Amino acid sequence: MSSGNSRGRGWPWRRAAPSPVPASHVAADGAIQIYHVSKSYSAGNFALRDVSLRFAKGEFVFLTGPSGAGKTTLLRLLFAAEQPSEGQIVVLGRNIARLRASAIPALRRRVGVVFQDFKLLQRRTVEENVALALEVVGTPPRVARAKVFAILKQLGLQHRRYHHPLSLSGGEQQRVALARALVNEPEILLADEPTGNLDPGLTLEIMDLIASAAMRGTTVIVATHQLEIVRRYGKRAVRLEAGSVSEDSVAGRVRT
Amino acid sequence: MIRLGYFVRTSFAGLRSSPVTTAVAVITIAVSLVLVGAFALLLANMEELLGRFGDDLQVTAYLEDGLSAEQVNELVRIAHTVEGVQAARIVSKPEALERFRAGVGQGSALLEGLGENPLPASLELTLAPEQRSAAGMARVVGSLEGLAGVSELASGQDWVEGYLRALALLRGIGWGLGLLLALATLLIVANTIRLAVFARRDELDILALVGASRAFVNGPFLLEGLLQGAVAGAVALALLYALFRLVLPGFEFGLALLLGGVAPRFFEPHEMAALVAGGAALGFVGSAAALAGGGRA
Repeated sequence: MSSGNSRGRGWPWRRAAPSPVPASHVAADGAIQIYHVSKSYSAGNFALRDVSLRFAKGEFVFLTGPSGAGKTTLLRLLFAAEQPSEGQIVVLGRNIARLRASAIPALRRRVGVVFQDFKLLQRRTVEENVALALEVVGTPPRVARAKVFAILKQLGLQHRRYHHPLSLSGGEQQRVALARALVNEPEILLADEPTGNLDPGLTLEIMDLIASAAMRGTTVIVATHQLEIVRRYGKRAVRLEAGSVSEDSVAGRVRT
Repeated sequence: MIRLGYFVRTSFAGLRSSPVTTAVAVITIAVSLVLVGAFALLLANMEELLGRFGDDLQVTAYLEDGLSAEQVNELVRIAHTVEGVQAARIVSKPEALERFRAGVGQGSALLEGLGENPLPASLELTLAPEQRSAAGMARVVGSLEGLAGVSELASGQDWVEGYLRALALLRGIGWGLGLLLALATLLIVANTIRLAVFARRDELDILALVGASRAFVNGPFLLEGLLQGAVAGAVALALLYALFRLVLPGFEFGLALLLGGVAPRFFEPHEMAALVAGGAALGFVGSAAALAGGGRA
């Protein structure tokens, strides 16, 4: 078994091998399909082991489990920050395991990502941080300004747009990160412990904003170890333990 | 898709955020360019000198004393038949003495003690333009050697050959020095850009996260390198000009030796542009080297 990034970054002159993913499995409504995926960083040491999951378009899913269960690794595989050691992952019709490095940016423009530590640029204003996602796709400045204002208004941050992140509260910073992830209207939103650094009041505020994205048709996957949140929303919850799926349930009832 | 405005804005912000590193890179490139530029300037002047002296190159055949007018005329006739000779002119003994007097100025008093004129008459041969080279002179000298009535043949052949050898040596040193300095400069620029990449790795991670293409991420760094190099080129040009105007006049004797009294010239406009473009290219290639091999974000 290979470990880490076992595949080259893709040679343009090489023809890609036929996909081992059965065509019947790439369902029209499937935003993400994961087939027998394993990830190991060293021989015999698995971060993920034989994980198979399927997330429909517009689905709101929690990934739960203790620290080190593989939640973050799974999310990183979904936005092509890493490749699986084994198995196949199809995200929005693209097979991550066979994706060329040059094709990754195009995929990421369709996937918004939010982290526990916000990952904001401290030297840029709120407006500039959010506009970054539009700048990389070449949105004209006037259009970008309008879009940024609209999303900041939606998240209640329009009055903070010229502030720098460090002058904002944790909840506000996470809202800025959320605004950056949503401003391009992504088809998938991945959130890795988005409320891990926030107090309970702010946690609900952020989670409600994330849930509203799912209501607008975005597939949302939230990794969290805060079970009270999972219970509160009553959505599908996939529990990972030691890199494997130990339970896949909706509102406490195991899915069949 | 990729906007130049973003590149320019980000590049300048990057240069401003690390002024010391930027200054070190600019100075290093500028020093390299000054050294290479000084060499290039010297070579250009020396080559020009060779071109100008070409017009004056001639072969002189010194004649034996006591030749009759017929013998001298015969020699002139033969000289005209030699391929490559454009004109032949007799310099009589008195004329040679007169020239010598004019040449040495006050030192001509030395000649007063001599009872008779010691200078020989000579035949001065002007070469056809296409023969004004070391090889051309050698051919003419070869044709006249051993001719009755000619005591000695003199030409600038040895001088030209020596000058060409010196020029080739200097050119070789210039190329070697240029290549070494270019390599050192590339390494320094590459390291400067690597430092800049390291300092902004958080920003680059976020750019990759929101789907920035590699060109979008690398563009500002390449522009930074290019700007550093171009500024260094302009600085080098200014330094070279200052050296040319202020320092060079202090080395008049050495210059006269090298350039034979010909006034040295500075770079032509297109050569100045080439120096600045060379700096920009060094900066760009150095940046590209630093960014090459960046892995999957």
